[in-house]
This record gives sequence, structure tokens and C-alpha cells, in this order.
Amino acid sequence: MTESSVSPIEWFENMIDNCYDYAEAAKSRGIPIVGIMCEFAPRELIMAAGGLPVCLCGGAAKTISPAEEYLPANLCPLIKSTFGYHITGSNPFLGWADLVVAETTCDGKKKMFELMAEKRPVYVMELPQKPDDTDAFEHWVLELRKLKTELETRFDVKIADAKIRESIATMNKERALRRSLAELMKQETPPITGRQLLEFKSIISGIPADLEQYEKALQTFSHPIDEKSRTDSQSSTKPRVLLTGVPVVHGAERVVDIIESSGGMIVCMENCTGLKPILEDVDIDAEDPIRALAAKYFRLHCSVMTPNSRRFDIIRQLAREYRAECVIDLVWQACITYDIESFQIKRLAEQELDLPYMRIETDYSPSDSARIAVRVEALIETVSRRRMR
Amino acid sequence: MIGVGIDAGSRAIKIALVDADTEKMIASGIVKQGINSEELALGLFDELLAGNGFTCDDVKRIVATGYARSRIGIADTTITEITCHAHGVRHLVPGVRTIIEIGGQDSKFLRLDPGGSVHDFAMNDRCAAGTGRFLEVVADRLGVGLEDLGQLSSMSTRPAMISSMCIVFAETEIIGLLSSGASPEDIVAGVQNSIATRVSTMIGRSATPPVVFTGGVAMIPGMAHALESVIGESVSISPSPQMTGALGAAMLALEQAGF
Repeated sequence: MTESSVSPIEWFENMIDNCYDYAEAAKSRGIPIVGIMCEFAPRELIMAAGGLPVCLCGGAAKTISPAEEYLPANLCPLIKSTFGYHITGSNPFLGWADLVVAETTCDGKKKMFELMAEKRPVYVMELPQKPDDTDAFEHWVLELRKLKTELETRFDVKIADAKIRESIATMNKERALRRSLAELMKQETPPITGRQLLEFKSIISGIPADLEQYEKALQTFSHPIDEKSRTDSQSSTKPRVLLTGVPVVHGAERVVDIIESSGGMIVCMENCTGLKPILEDVDIDAEDPIRALAAKYFRLHCSVMTPNSRRFDIIRQLAREYRAECVIDLVWQACITYDIESFQIKRLAEQELDLPYMRIETDYSPSDSARIAVRVEALIETVSRRRMR
Repeated sequence: MIGVGIDAGSRAIKIALVDADTEKMIASGIVKQGINSEELALGLFDELLAGNGFTCDDVKRIVATGYARSRIGIADTTITEITCHAHGVRHLVPGVRTIIEIGGQDSKFLRLDPGGSVHDFAMNDRCAAGTGRFLEVVADRLGVGLEDLGQLSSMSTRPAMISSMCIVFAETEIIGLLSSGASPEDIVAGVQNSIATRVSTMIGRSATPPVVFTGGVAMIPGMAHALESVIGESVSISPSPQMTGALGAAMLALEQAGF
């Protein structure tokens, strides 16, 4: 498929195929494929080393049961699905990976990486978890420097500052484009659904054709919709949902579909597959680009951080900017940090923001879809009745 | 003119007819849920209309609720059982702040704000422990009727501990208790406590009074008492507990029709 003939929506519907072609071509040219499994992985460094960072987070239910031969059943489905791909060899991107860059973002991943490392090269970065602690930050800077050395040694390259700045420029551009797309949802009548917005992402960052399509999407959707062409999915009367919590990775969009087919409109996704990683850019003019990268990534408000007050600040800000009418907090089963933090999010939503709050704890199996739909529908009814008051 | 609420639940279909002017429930009926919800609902609907001297022309609007609500073709619209129960109970017990509803496969708790709107709610999602089905399984296993459970539990001296979170495992646990000599009275009391405990976990730290108990399970003696002892608040049983969903649906039908 050539990118000029298709609409942005069609283009990103084929995101996995596009990425497959792109990565396959890169691999055949000798470009190292580097798997990443978390937004803390500094893609810019990998790109500066001449590598292609590919997100390998699993979103498929079918790879969970093979994974459970090794991992406990009561574990986050994202970890199990990712590991299932490793075991069954059914993710070509993982198969191509010359290295997996991992982080100690959560205990489940951390221990899973030990098992993965028995079969393929895995490099683990230690993520400090106190975001306001200077020593913690300095430690993180060192972790990035060690990753740089690892990449240089493994791929026999020298990572010059100029190269890092080049990849910072690419990533800043991509983040800015995706941020602008997300901001379309601030409109009274958003031109796309939350589900469509979620499609505007790629498991490989910085693909030139993707960047063109992001721009094209912005041009297409930036014009306010006239009333006549408004379709049902673009109704401005639907309650505006702020979705927070765990990432909704490719293949695991079930809850997003349920929310939008139950009458809600997701106007803001404050999670790793939404705004969280693209809210801020990297300072391209910084004297030391490694420190600049460390600064950007260390500000990611992941629930592994303690205290994670930045997440509360961001939700306050986003709820206002996107005029959210309720908060839905998605928690993957056994994701302890998001699960516990949901107590604080509920308190923030209900007591401070005066917004109805709902926590959905689930995994990738569709067995509870009908139950979740009832709860979401009831929440939407509650929001609608609040409007009538 | 009348508003009609059809509550197509997991174990029974309930229909309520409400008069548009007086807002009073004129008639109600119930039929056991089966393979064809639509047909069963239609049969009951026709019977209720004819039995009370109404024709279809008298029906202003029909709202369906309950888990099979989308299969009720005669309904003009559907509303979730959460909103309907809140509306129905609020109509019967003005000022209610906490509603506990336990039905065939559901247990839910609703917190209403002082104005009567749903503020917060929780329900069981992946498992039917803590629901009416649990009591059915127990009654069946002990060879007694559902209606006898209250009498039995009131005679318990040492309620058994039922710790399983799953109906199937709890049944195994009950068999084990029986073989180790536990009395049916103590087992029933233990099961009721276990259901109450599960519901109280949903509620969290505090249930704002007044607390009203509704749903089919509210009709089983002993359950309200078990809830009271676990949540530490007095719990009153809603009038017509099995009908509050259908009643709420009928009230909402009238509201939507502009009454």
C-alpha cells in the first residue's frame, strides 16, 4: 500500500502490516531491530545508535495460555501476552529483535525479563521510582549512559550527540503531531471517536510515512464539522469520558469499544497509549542530550512512581481542558500499582473534580464484556441524568 | 394511560404497570426466565394488560431492563437495571441513600446522593458468588426450599465458615461441611453471612443510612439480618423487592413520555 492513496484512518488500520514491511526492509539492510516494552525506553537513543525501536507489548488473548505454562495465572495480561509471543515465536518483530531493552517498571515485567533473557538478548535498565528525588534522577541519567554504552558496544557504533539530537527532532515532531491529533477531541463535537484516535499510533516510531499520515489526518480533521455531515458517532450529546489507567495496547481495545458502544465518547486518554508519553517533548537545545532525554522520560507519571502526584495534577488539568464528565480507570488484572492508585484517582475524581468515577479491572478475555457494558451504560445514564439537573 | 417496565432478569421476568396520573403501580407479574425471553415477556405482558382491562393503546411507553433487556423487542428503549432499581426504590422509599440489590446472578450496591441520583455503584462482575444463584445451589444441595432458608438459619447456633469465592467450589465446601457433621442450619447461616460479607466488600467502609435491600433475594428471610450484622447499619427490605427494577423502568418510561 502506498501512503499517498489511502486515508489516514485506512493507513493506521494497517499499522501492523506497515510496520512489518518497514521492519523487514530495515532488517534486510542490516539495521538492528530493538524491542521495547515500556514508554520509559528512550527511543531516541536506540534510533541514534542506528537501531529501529519496536514496541512489543502484547495485546492478544491467544498467547496468554502458552505463557501460563511459565508464568502465574494471576499476572497482568499484558506481561503474559508479551511473554506468550516470546514462547510461541508468533511475533515476527520479537523474532527479528537483535536486542530487547527492558526496564524495571514493574515487578511482573522485571521477573518476566529474566525468563526471556534465557533465550534472547535482553538489557535491563533500572528505573528509579522517586520522581522528586535528585539522587534518583542522577541514577536515571547514569542508566541512560549505560544503555548508550551497551548500544555502542553491541552494534559497534559511536553515538554522537548530533545523532541523538537528530532523533530527538524526529520524536519531538511525532509527539507534537500526535498531541495535536489528541487535542482535536477538545472540540464540542470531536471529528473522530476515541477508538479512531487510539488507532493513530505505531509500534515503530519515526516512520516517515506515519508522520506524513499524521499530518494528513490533522489537515483532514481540523475543520470543524458542519451539522449536516455529522454522523451518529460524532454526536456532541454523548457523555465525555476521560480514560485513565493502564495502556490499551494494539489488540486489547475491548474496553474502549465497550465504552464507546455503550454511549460514551472517550475524549481523553491519559495513559501510555494516549497522552502520557506525548505531553512533553525533549529539550533539543540542551547541552547534554542524554540529560535532556533522562529529564523527559523521568517525568512520565507511571503508577510505579512514588508518590505519583504528577498523575493527579495531569488528570486535574486534562479533565478541565477536555471537559470530561466522568472518569473511567482501567486496571489490568494484577497490576498492583495501578490497582492501588485507583483509590486516589477515585477520591480525586469524586471529591475534588465532582466527576463520577468507575474502575474497570479486567484482562484480555471477553468473558466479562457484558457485565462491563452494563456498568458503563449505567455510568453513562448517571452522567446524562446529571446533565438534566 | 400507563407506563410499562419489563425487567428481564437472569432467573425471572418481572413486569410492572404504572398509572401515568397517580404514579401508582396498578399491576405486576412475574414469570420464570427461559430460553425465549421475548416470548415469555410478551405472554406476561398480554396477560397483565387483559387482566387489568387495558389494551395496547393505553400503553404510553415501554422500558426494558435486566440482563436480557436488549432481547425484548416490544420495548421502546432499554435502561440498565442500576438506574431502574435506583428509580424504583427511591419511589417506594423516598430519602433512601444506599440500595443493596441481590438478584439471581447479580449483587449490586448503589449509593444515592441526597437528591436521589445515583452517585456511585458497584456490582459483581466475573463471578456469581454472593447472589441468589448461590442460595439456590445451597437449598438444592440441602434438599430444602428457598423459602425455608430463613427459618433454618434462624436456628443456627454456630454459623459455618464458607470461604470459597466461587459457587462451584463453595458447593464442594458445603459437601465437606456436611460430611464433617455440620448442621444444615449452620451451613445456611454461614452461606448467608458469606453473601453479606461479599456485598459489604463492594460497599467499602461506610453505607450511608437509610439502607434498603431489594431484589429477589431480599424476600429470603434472614438475609437482611445477615447484611445488618456485617455492615453495621439497620437494613430495611424494600416493598415489592422483586419488582423494584420493573417499577423503576415503568416510572422512567413515563418520565421519558413526558409525564
